[in-house]
Amino acid sequence: MKPDIEKLLERYYEGETTLEEEKLLREFFRSEAVPAHLKDHAAPFQHYTDFRQEHPSPAVGSRFADRVGAESRIRPLVRWGLRVAAGLTLLLLGFFGGMLYSARTSPAGEGQTASAAEDLKTVLRYDRVMQTSASERIQAVYQSMELDRADQEITLLLVNALNSDANVNVRLAACQALLRFRDEPGVREALIQSLKVQTDPNVQISLIEALVVIREKRAAREIQRMARNEQIIKAVRMKAEEGLSRLI
Amino acid sequence: MDLQTFKQQILPVQGRLFRLAKLFLRNREEAEDALQEVLMKLWMNRHQLDAYRSVEALAVQMTRNLCLDRLKTRAGRPMDDGALLENLQAATVSPYRQTELADSAGLMMRFVDALPEPQKLILHLRDVEEYSFEEIEEVTGLTVNNIRVILSRARKSVRENYLKANNYEAGH
Repeated sequence: MKPDIEKLLERYYEGETTLEEEKLLREFFRSEAVPAHLKDHAAPFQHYTDFRQEHPSPAVGSRFADRVGAESRIRPLVRWGLRVAAGLTLLLLGFFGGMLYSARTSPAGEGQTASAAEDLKTVLRYDRVMQTSASERIQAVYQSMELDRADQEITLLLVNALNSDANVNVRLAACQALLRFRDEPGVREALIQSLKVQTDPNVQISLIEALVVIREKRAAREIQRMARNEQIIKAVRMKAEEGLSRLI
Repeated sequence: MDLQTFKQQILPVQGRLFRLAKLFLRNREEAEDALQEVLMKLWMNRHQLDAYRSVEALAVQMTRNLCLDRLKTRAGRPMDDGALLENLQAATVSPYRQTELADSAGLMMRFVDALPEPQKLILHLRDVEEYSFEEIEEVTGLTVNNIRVILSRARKSVRENYLKANNYEAGH
């Protein structure tokens, strides 16, 4: 075994060893069977192993948990308010675009559907976000998918959830819901616009897929821009390229 | 990123961040302080974290930068390590002092600490934390070949200093 160790050591000092080989060296020098002429190589390995045993005191973790626990109950209003404002602006743009493209009258839902719709509107209202949990909001979004039609208020709330909800799973659900209501005024435009604000890769990928599925060629430009944007992570860029080739 | 995901992804990495901070700041309390600050910073920016391929690499970078800042603003801290190395190499070191200095742990700590950046960082990431070269690449932005070269220098440097301290000839 000894000649191997000496070879390993040579490679170690040249920076050529693998992690497994370094593990071998560490174990060798920890054992009792270290020959005299190799003893002075032992010190660093021992030191690194010892240093690895250092840990922060548990107080750090619990102090952090305390501070954060207090904070997440009182969401910073300003940041949230800005996101809502941004979402609303995009929404207005989307709706204007929608109105230009289609003139549809939208009769209100009847009876039972109407009250279910009212319920989920209440849950998704943006000023209620602080009192609802992410699960409740996801639930509400899924409920919306059971409706045959969605009036403007619901699509508005869904778009807002897509763009501004802090929870990524709510945003993903909203994307799915909007896909279902693709023919409602403003929805397609809103989906295109949403590409510009999303930062979570999962939502970005879902959005691209949704736009491709509904054959929304107007999104091609934005998707192409994303495919070229170095700041966007590789998986999303690849999705964008793939989506683009299916779209055009 | 919500609190749950944050807890799952980031809190397990605390130990690594702490050890890195302790490497730079040489002091347990300050290292814990720095760790606390990095955790809070990551938490404040949690919504942007989902876009990063490796949040751990980001956290390591943040910790290193924070520590370097702290070191810069540390006023009048006595830099005794340079003097110590000189003493070790001087022929006039008494046998008593030799024995004293031969306390391996203290010695090793000092040698690693005296390494220039990025040797110190890379040696720590590889030999203490057992990061792969790809992971080190992500943290430092250096190429794998470059990293190997720096690592080699660092390891040799530590060995040479250790041999000198133990009064052996370093010739081969």
